[in-house]
Amino acid sequence: MTTPREFKYVGTRPIRHDGVDKVTGRASYGADVVWPGMLHGFVLRSPHAHARIVSIDTRAAEATPGVKAVLTGKDLPETTATIALGEAAIDLRDVGDNMLARTKVLYHGHAVAAVAATTIDIAREAAEKIQVVYEVLEPVTGIDRAIAADAPILHPALRTKGAASPGAAGPTNIASRLEFKRGDVDAAFAEADVVVEREFRTPMVHQGYIEPHACIARCGEDGRAVVWCTTQGPFVVRDACAAIAGLDPAHVKVIPSEIGGGFGGKIVVYLEPMAIALSRKAQRPVKMVMGRDEVFRATGPTSGSRVRVKLGAKRDGTLVAATASLWYEAGAYRGSPVGAGAMCALAAYKIPSFFIEAHDVVVNKPKVAAYRAPGSPIAAFAVESVVDEIARELKMDPIELRLKNANAEGDKAPYGPKYGPIGLKQILEAARNHPHWTSPLAANQGRGIAVGFWFNAGMNSSATVILDTDGSAAVVTGNPDIGGTRAAQAIMVAEELGIPVERVRPGVGDTDGSGYTDLTGGSRVCYATGMAVIRAAEDVRDQLKARAAQIWNVAVDAVGWENGRAIPPAGTEKAEAMTVAGLAAKMAHTGGPIVGRASLYAPMAGPAFGAHICDLEVDSETGQSKVVRYTVFQDVGRAVHPGYVEGQMQGGAAQGIGWALNEEYIYDADGVMENAGFLDYRMPVASDLPMIDTVIIEVPNPLHPYGVRGVGEVPIVPPLAAVANAMRDATGIRFTELPLSPPRVLEAIEAASAVSVGA
Amino acid sequence: MATVHLPSGLTQYTGGVETIDIDAARVPELIAALGHRFPQIAEQLGEMAVAIDGEIYQDPGYQLLRADSDVHLVPRIAGG
Amino acid sequence: MNGMLAIRYETPQSVGEAVRLMAADPDARVLAGGTDLLVQFRAGVRQPSAFVDVKRIPELMSITIDGQGLRLGAATAAAVIGEHVELRTLWPGLVEAVQLIGSTQIQGRGSVGGNLCNASPAADTTCALIVNRADCVIAGPGGERTVPVEEFCIAPGRTVLQRGELLIALRLPRPAARTSDAYLRLIPRSEMDIAVVGAAVSVTLDANGVCRSARVAIGAVAPTALLVPEAAKALVGSSLDAASLKRAAEAASTAARPIGDKRGTAGYRRTVAGVLTRRAAAIAAGRARRK
Repeated sequence: MTTPREFKYVGTRPIRHDGVDKVTGRASYGADVVWPGMLHGFVLRSPHAHARIVSIDTRAAEATPGVKAVLTGKDLPETTATIALGEAAIDLRDVGDNMLARTKVLYHGHAVAAVAATTIDIAREAAEKIQVVYEVLEPVTGIDRAIAADAPILHPALRTKGAASPGAAGPTNIASRLEFKRGDVDAAFAEADVVVEREFRTPMVHQGYIEPHACIARCGEDGRAVVWCTTQGPFVVRDACAAIAGLDPAHVKVIPSEIGGGFGGKIVVYLEPMAIALSRKAQRPVKMVMGRDEVFRATGPTSGSRVRVKLGAKRDGTLVAATASLWYEAGAYRGSPVGAGAMCALAAYKIPSFFIEAHDVVVNKPKVAAYRAPGSPIAAFAVESVVDEIARELKMDPIELRLKNANAEGDKAPYGPKYGPIGLKQILEAARNHPHWTSPLAANQGRGIAVGFWFNAGMNSSATVILDTDGSAAVVTGNPDIGGTRAAQAIMVAEELGIPVERVRPGVGDTDGSGYTDLTGGSRVCYATGMAVIRAAEDVRDQLKARAAQIWNVAVDAVGWENGRAIPPAGTEKAEAMTVAGLAAKMAHTGGPIVGRASLYAPMAGPAFGAHICDLEVDSETGQSKVVRYTVFQDVGRAVHPGYVEGQMQGGAAQGIGWALNEEYIYDADGVMENAGFLDYRMPVASDLPMIDTVIIEVPNPLHPYGVRGVGEVPIVPPLAAVANAMRDATGIRFTELPLSPPRVLEAIEAASAVSVGA
Repeated sequence: MATVHLPSGLTQYTGGVETIDIDAARVPELIAALGHRFPQIAEQLGEMAVAIDGEIYQDPGYQLLRADSDVHLVPRIAGG
Repeated sequence: MNGMLAIRYETPQSVGEAVRLMAADPDARVLAGGTDLLVQFRAGVRQPSAFVDVKRIPELMSITIDGQGLRLGAATAAAVIGEHVELRTLWPGLVEAVQLIGSTQIQGRGSVGGNLCNASPAADTTCALIVNRADCVIAGPGGERTVPVEEFCIAPGRTVLQRGELLIALRLPRPAARTSDAYLRLIPRSEMDIAVVGAAVSVTLDANGVCRSARVAIGAVAPTALLVPEAAKALVGSSLDAASLKRAAEAASTAARPIGDKRGTAGYRRTVAGVLTRRAAAIAAGRARRK
């Protein structure tokens, strides 16, 4: 057993290095750059949710003065490439088809052509002159319709992949089916004293990042392209652009801008290959910026869902059996996060017998993209609502029920392997002991609790630490900074070299200026890229020790390192400990510049759990509700910069509360989204929420030198159920469909009071 | 011999076999041996993440196995 | 530069100049705060040939209160209204309606005249103006005319304004003794939203606390804001007790003719119109009793 390391900088809260530029408006985002000779691109989008493209006539658009290029799907090669990126590796044929439809449009807003012109107004006017003849087909706007026997088929070649239901064969809208099982479920339910079964539905919701997708690209006759864009993964964009636009990846450079939120939604390319292809035709740079309605209609929200959960428990609260049937909308192309949902659904609990099935369903809506812990919140909404019902049936404290069944180190996860050290019991105990849990509630208020689980990714990361002659250092990685990772990386370099955080300049490199690094996502950056940063800083330290050994004329192994100083071996004549600055000043005389580097492939970080307590006040005459108190408990492994860790916990909770209360894609019968703007797609505004309290719990992750576990995704998992459980407590009504918008809540309250009056 | 646990969704193709001991020093040899034993799932094996003694590798590469390693094949997971 | 998209920006210094500009060009639009117009312009909903910015005309940017009542310049910013102590004391319901619009930034630009001329059935100020018996002062090529505010909007997005006309002010009679008002709206969020239902109530009490006159208006439940005399009738003659408030609520629900849409079902709007009417009447009554 090693003694815990004492930190000097880890756990402190320095001001982020990129903060001043961001709050003063100096930082450059996707739409902020202007290149000489730049054209503006406009996308023509489908007015139908499902239609065959019979013909596209672009002649009138091309003849419009000021138009320099027009693009349709026929201008791009069909690629069969894939990028390995978790569940259902990114199929670039689908990504290309989603970006610019070839033969069919599969959702309202699906791009069918693009125009580049000298002004955006000319581009828009010209796009409107493009004649597209459609053969309109019946839209499939939900799971129920998609799986009906007579459902229109989106992709005639699609067959169910995986553990197909018996009898399933031939064309289908069910792209895949997965199963997870353990034990004899029927026998286990027979032994249960209490069984609760409910079916839940959630609508499609969007990440709602404040910055729309935007890029500028130029591509020369030589096939070399440069792209500036807002993205979570510049290397993903590079490889996707090369494959879709038909270029050699070696000839594509992607420069990531500052990013105004991503949450998983800025991984897929929607504009960049189009901008390259338009630029290649026009031989001028092309800028493309989405409007908010385009972001809603034609980028990747997360799945709408139908989830049925059944749990059985003994009288003493022991959970003995579970079944879960998950159906997630993938949108227009296969690849919903239903597999992850199935793996997360029961991850918190020791349940000896279970059966989980998961279905990926294509529908005529935008193709879903990752959204913060993809798949897990939907599953947790269902399972944690049913756990709450079990606690009510048993008249048991919901935290005690969860503690009684909570998984711990050594227990087998429902998806197979045994857990390492995890903090589920610790967060539940912290919640139970927190004053929030026992504080009194006012009239019309209710309290709910729920837990959530997420894996936290690892994957490829690289880092470079560059020492300057004044003893300051730059650290460069290929991860755009979304959640304060620059500050965290500067802290890591400061910790390893013993120089102040302010003397470290953290930067984000482009695809030619940093080693290959997987995207900013999966809560992986502080963990995996952080590990590379620590090793790169260690590399610098080792080189500094070698320089000191050279100066002192002693063996390298004999040189010590303490508090940011090289220590000479005892008895060395005329040798005093040397600081980083002192050694850096002598770099030119001891072998030249010092650059540290590290690259690695990290296993997944080890899972993390969060527990949320929500107090909700409900106006029973209007159905309106307000979150009056909210506390987030989370095992983060180690908080490198606690301020940004808390920010992640609060942000995830805020997004989850919005999902629970008001957010939803509203469709008409033709499959047209009716609320493609922030006015009627109701994300919470600041005044909607109380200050969200946070309690950081640190159960160090053994895979990381500091114990970092990853923090960004877990906090969006519990809120859906925490809010719904609070609503149940306040109103006596179990809501199984989101959002808990005022009309839905009032209708249920009126129905319940009609029943009680009738009785 | 590493003990390999197959995901329950695949067991319909393995004649119900859920756990199998395989003598392999590294992940690629283990996957090859599994694919040889159960040709129907060979294609899917390459798309799965591999958990070795509790550590999940989305891309297991040439990871070494211990003589008594506990190996689980699990679906890959996308992060946001 | 593409000629079809060139837009003029005019800054008249007087009402007469503004009227001439508006009369000369049917596609010109009056720009007050711009908080609706510029959004519609950017979204491609409106493509005016000219923006006629009226914020440099003193008469449109002023607040005057005298023995007769209030003259509110149509383009006066919401924030200025919110800071006006006497206005807040005399018409607290109107001011709370004005202050519900948008955000702090929007408050600095948006105006009551603009809110009215946008002619949204959900506009927050309309109901509060109606219960306070506001008149719209309209200037046009033929001179000035006055229209009661409840007749100003004729359909969603449409008003009685004719070519060359613009709204220059709102006139509200000075409230009688023991008179006060209140406005409530329901939005799913706490701000930055559009009323799913709105309700304004003004009541006048006698020395014994009996309601001598009342006006009730509800918004977002019909193509234009509705004055509901039946709801007022339920209040007049009562001490504004629970039973009379309940009758007013029922009258408001009955009068509502809402559509169901993405913001709420018709049934929901009808129910909530009653709830808000009852609550607004109770608030107005409390305020009147303190006067």
